[in-house]
Amino acid sequence: MSRNPQEIVSDALAEYGSGREAVLQILTKINRELSYIPEEAVAAVANAVGVSNAEIYSVISFYSFFSTEPRGRNIIRLCTTISCEMNGSREILETIEKELGIKAGATTPDGRITLETTSCIGLCDQAPAMMVNDTPHTRLTPPETRRIIAGLE
Amino acid sequence: MMPNISVKINGTVTSVREGVTILDACKTAGVEIPTLCYHPDLSLAGNCRMCLVEVEGWRTLAIACVTPVTPNMVVLTHSKKVRHARRTVLKLLLASHNVNCPECERNKNCELQELAEIHNITSNEYQTSPKPESIEEVSPGIMRDNSRCIMCTRCVRTCEELQSVAVIKPVGRSSSVTISTFMDRSLNDVPCTQCGQCIVRCPTGALFETSEIRPVWEAIENPDKFVVFQTAPAVRVGLAEALGLPIDRSTGQMVAAIRGLGVDRVLDTDFTADLTIIEEGHELISRLKGALVDNDKSVALPMMTSCSPGWIKFIEHKYPELLSNVSTCKSPQQMFGALAKTYLAGKEGIDPANIVSVSIMPCTAKKFEKERPEMRDSGYKDVDYVLTTRELARMIDEAGIDFEKIAEEKFDRWMGDSTGAGVIFGATGGVMEAALRTAYEIITGHEIPFDGLNVEPVRGMEGIKEAAITMPERMATGFEFLAGVTLKVAVAHGLANAKILMDKVQSGEADYHFIEIMACPGGCLGGGGQPIPTSPEIRQKRTESIYAEDAALHFRKSHANPEVQLLYAEFLKEPLGHKSHELLHTHYIKRD
Amino acid sequence: MSEKKILTATEQPDTGSALKKSLGMTSADVVFEVRESEIRGRGGAGFPTGIKWNLAGAASGSNKMVICNADEGEPGTFKDRYLIENYSLKLLEGMTIAGYAIGSSYGIIYLRAEYPYLIPVIEKARENLIRENLLGENILGTDFNFDIEIRPGAGAYVCGEETSLIESLEGKRGVPRNKPPFPVNSGYLFRPTIVNNVETFTAVPHIILNGAEWYQGLGIGNCTGTKLFSISGDIENPGVYELPMGSPISELLEASGSKDVQAVQVGGASGATITADELDRSLSFEDLPPGGSVIVFNSSRNMMDVLENFLEFFVHESCGQCTTCREGNVRLLDAVHLIRNGEISSMEELEPFFQLAEVMKISSKCGLGQTSPNCFIDIVTRFIDLPDEKEGE
Repeated sequence: MSRNPQEIVSDALAEYGSGREAVLQILTKINRELSYIPEEAVAAVANAVGVSNAEIYSVISFYSFFSTEPRGRNIIRLCTTISCEMNGSREILETIEKELGIKAGATTPDGRITLETTSCIGLCDQAPAMMVNDTPHTRLTPPETRRIIAGLE
Repeated sequence: MMPNISVKINGTVTSVREGVTILDACKTAGVEIPTLCYHPDLSLAGNCRMCLVEVEGWRTLAIACVTPVTPNMVVLTHSKKVRHARRTVLKLLLASHNVNCPECERNKNCELQELAEIHNITSNEYQTSPKPESIEEVSPGIMRDNSRCIMCTRCVRTCEELQSVAVIKPVGRSSSVTISTFMDRSLNDVPCTQCGQCIVRCPTGALFETSEIRPVWEAIENPDKFVVFQTAPAVRVGLAEALGLPIDRSTGQMVAAIRGLGVDRVLDTDFTADLTIIEEGHELISRLKGALVDNDKSVALPMMTSCSPGWIKFIEHKYPELLSNVSTCKSPQQMFGALAKTYLAGKEGIDPANIVSVSIMPCTAKKFEKERPEMRDSGYKDVDYVLTTRELARMIDEAGIDFEKIAEEKFDRWMGDSTGAGVIFGATGGVMEAALRTAYEIITGHEIPFDGLNVEPVRGMEGIKEAAITMPERMATGFEFLAGVTLKVAVAHGLANAKILMDKVQSGEADYHFIEIMACPGGCLGGGGQPIPTSPEIRQKRTESIYAEDAALHFRKSHANPEVQLLYAEFLKEPLGHKSHELLHTHYIKRD
Repeated sequence: MSEKKILTATEQPDTGSALKKSLGMTSADVVFEVRESEIRGRGGAGFPTGIKWNLAGAASGSNKMVICNADEGEPGTFKDRYLIENYSLKLLEGMTIAGYAIGSSYGIIYLRAEYPYLIPVIEKARENLIRENLLGENILGTDFNFDIEIRPGAGAYVCGEETSLIESLEGKRGVPRNKPPFPVNSGYLFRPTIVNNVETFTAVPHIILNGAEWYQGLGIGNCTGTKLFSISGDIENPGVYELPMGSPISELLEASGSKDVQAVQVGGASGATITADELDRSLSFEDLPPGGSVIVFNSSRNMMDVLENFLEFFVHESCGQCTTCREGNVRLLDAVHLIRNGEISSMEELEPFFQLAEVMKISSKCGLGQTSPNCFIDIVTRFIDLPDEKEGE
C-alpha cells in the first residue's frame, strides 16, 4: 500500500530541504512513489517552499514525466521518435494498445498500467525501445512486448 | 554610474548611457520600437519577439527590450529583415488569436490590433488551421478569454511582482501553454484578490471586467426603479481618459453625463469617504485608548484601513491572523449602499425595495465586495451593481453624450457633498492624510500642522511610506492620554508592498499605530477598473489631478462636510454609535 | 581516416592521473591547456570550452558552479548515455579538473529523466573516487575540495539548452533565459557557472594528460580532437563511433555498415539533412555541425514521414515561451499536412513557410527555435518534388 502524500512530502523535504532549487527533486520523489503528484502534495510543496500553489502547478505542467492526474502503478513510456518509429514503434504501440485495451495517454481501469508515448529516450541504437518505470526495454518485438506487459504487477 | 557611449541607430549617432537597453536607447533617439510583452511596471520577459532589431555583426536579430547597448553598436530598426520578422511575428500571433474585434471589450484599445494596423497586416498566410474559439471564464470581478491571449505574461508578472499573489501562471508547454491557475480552477476558487491589475496590463482582450452594463441600463429604463449612482473619488480623474480625452479631473462633466443617462440621483462616494474618516478616526482613537490607557491586550494595533476590497481579500487569504487589526469600517462604497437604502430612502420618501444602487468604481474588486453576504445590512443588497470607470465611459459613448461639450453640473443633495479629504481617497496615502487631518483636530483641538493641510510624507509613489507625528502636550478634553505620544503611521500601495509591511507587523518588527493599504499601485487611481493602459507616468498625472481637486474644494476636512454633519445629527447620532454599528461596520473571514 | 578511439578506447589512462597532473599545475595553466586544445563544446553549439572556463574563472562571485549537461535529447543521440555507462570515472574526473580550473568546489550532473538507470552507475563512480581521495575534501592531499551531485530532469528536451537547464535546476519551468547575463557570469543561483556536455568533460582528462598540441593534431583545422557519433536508422550496426573531427560522413557510414542511403541527418532533428550525393561532406563545425546524432534513411523511406515526425517532436518540445518557436513550429507542421493532403502543391505556395523558417532562425530565443526549421528547409528543398508554380496557373 502506498504511503499518504503528506508523509512523502515530509520525507522529500527532509531529504532535499525546502529551497526553491529543490523543487524538481521533491516533485520527482513524489511522482515516482505515487506515479503522480496529487493536489494536496502540490499545495504542501508550495507551502514549504514559500511560493504559490499555481507556481508549483505551473512547474509540474512543464515536464513530461510529471502528472497531477492519477496514473497506473506502472508507466510505460514508448518512444515514437524517428529511429524507433523507423524500427516499428507503431506496431509496438498497436500491440500494447490491443493488449491493454487502452489508447496512449490512458490508464487501464484496474490502475495497473498507464501507457504514454514519449520523445526520444536515447536508445535509438536498440530501437524500438520503451521505458517501463525506470527500466529500459529495447529491440522490442510484439511477442516480447506482450511478455513484458504480462510480467507487470 | 555608467559612462555615456555612442551607438548608431538607423545611421544617426546617439549618446546613451552604457548598459541601457536598445529599446531605451531608441527612445532617446526618438525611434519607436513596437513592443507587446514589455511593460514599464514589470520585469523584462523578452518573449513576444515584437521588438526585434538588427545589430551589425549579429547572426540573429536582437531583442531590443532586453539587450543592453554596447559601445559603437550599430542598430537598424526597420531594415527589410526587421520589418519582415516583425510582420511574421504579428501574423503568427494573429493566426492563433481569436480575432473577433467587434465583439471584444478592447476593440480600438488593443495593442495587437494597433500593431496589426500599423504593420498593414491585411492577409495571413499562416492561418493554416482554425482560430481558437472563445473560452470565457467568469468570476465576480474578472473575466478571462484565453482565446485572445498572446502569452506575453504581463498578467503573470503583474500578479506576482506587483501583487505578490501569483495565482496565474503559464501552464503546460509549447503551443498548448495557457495562462491558468492551480489545477486550472476558476479565478473564483483560488486566492485571486480580484484587483484587476492584470486587466489594465493585458495588451489584448484576454482579461476584462465582468460587465454589469446591461442590468444597469435595464434599471434606468424601468420607470418603477429609483436609480442612484455613487461615483468613487478616482473615477473623476479617469473618466476623461477612458473617453479618449487627455488625463484631467472632470467631476462636473461626469455628474452631468451620468444624469444624462437618465439616472435619478447622482451622488458621491466621497461623501461616505468622509464618513469613513469619522468612523475610522474614532475607531483608531478608541483602539489607542484601549491599548495605552486601559492596557487591553485584546486591542489590535496597528489598525489597518479597510477601504480597498482587493486588500481585504488578500489579507483574508494570506494573513488571517491579522484580521482583528483591520478596521471594522465598511468601505465607502458599502457605507454608501447601506445608507442609500435607509437614510436616503427616508429623505427621498422612496421605498428602498425600489432603489437600485449603482456604484462607479475604479475597481474590479468592488464587484466582488458588493456580493459579500455581509453587505446586506440595509435589509436589501446594499449595492446592486458596480461599474468600472471603463464601463461608465462605454455607457456615455453609447448614449451619444459629448463629454467635451457637456456643461458641468453638481451632485444631488443628501449624500452628494464632498471634501478634499474624501477626494484624496483616490490616491495612495489619501486615506491616511484625510484621517490625520481629522483625527489630529479631534484629539488636539487644532488643525494638523502641515502647510496647507498637505501631509506630504504620506504622498507620492514610494511603495511604502512612513510618517511619525508627535502630539503636543496640550490636548483636547478627553484625549489627554495621547499628550506627547508619537503617532507612527505607514502607507503601502500594491499588494507586494503590503506583503512587506504585513511580514514586518507579523514578526513584531513594526511599531506602527495605523497603516493604510491600497491594493493597487498608486492607489485607486491606478485601480483595475481604470482606463487602459497604465504606467507610472499615467498614474502620476492622475495623482496630480486628484490633489488639484482637493486643493480646489471649499472643505478640505472630512468632519467639515455639512451633509455628514447632518447625517449624524439626524440619523446616526454619534460616531461608532448603535446605528453606525448596524449599518457601517462589518467583519472579515479567513479564506483558504 | 577511420575510427580513432580516445574517449572510448579500451585501454584508459589511470583514474586520477589527469587530476593529479592538473593539481600540480596552476588553475590558470589548466584553463590555458584546455583553451589551447581548441576543444569546442560537444553538445552541438560548439562554443570553445577554454574560453568558457576562462570567463567563469575570471568572473567575480563566489560559489562557482560546474554543471554537466547530461540531458541529451536530440532525436538519435545516445552518445552521452554510452559514455556514462562506460566511462563515468573519466566524466567525473573531467568535472573535477574543471572545478579546479575555474575555482569551483561543486558540480552538478543534470541527468535527463529518461536515464534513471544511470544514477547508480554515477553514484558508484563517485564513491570510488571519494574512496581514492580523488573527490571530496582535500583531494590528493591538497586544499582543493570538490563534490558532485546528480539531479534528475523531468522530461523536457529544451532543458538541454544551458539556461533552460539552469532554470530547471533552480526548480523552475525549463525556459531559456535572456542573455546577457551569460551563465559564466550569472548562472545557477546567480553564481558564475560553466555548463559543459558529458563528452566535453570526458575529453578533458585526455587533453590534460596528452597536451593541447596532441589534441589539436587529432582533428582538422580549428575542429580539433575526436568526436563521438550516435548513429541509428537504416544501418547494419547502430551504435556509438568515435572519429576524428572533420572526418567525411562516408567514413562513419562505412564503419557502421550502411548500404542503401537516401538521406543522412547529421546533428539530429535540428541539424542538417543531406542527400546520398553529399557523403563527402565533413563532420565539423565548418560543414555539418556534429551534435552527436546521425540518422540514416534508406530509399524506402518517405522523407515527408520523417519531416512530420521531427516537426511533431518540436511542436511537443518547444517551451512555448517565445512567439516564433511556439507558433512557428505549429505552422511548419501545418504546411507539411497541407503538402500531404495536396492543398499545397507548388514551391510558390511554400514560399511563406520558407520565409517563416528563416525568421524563426534569427528571431527565436534559443537554439531550439533557431534550429528546428532546418529539417523543414532541408527536407522540403532536397527531397520533396514540387513544381515551382501551381498547376493551371
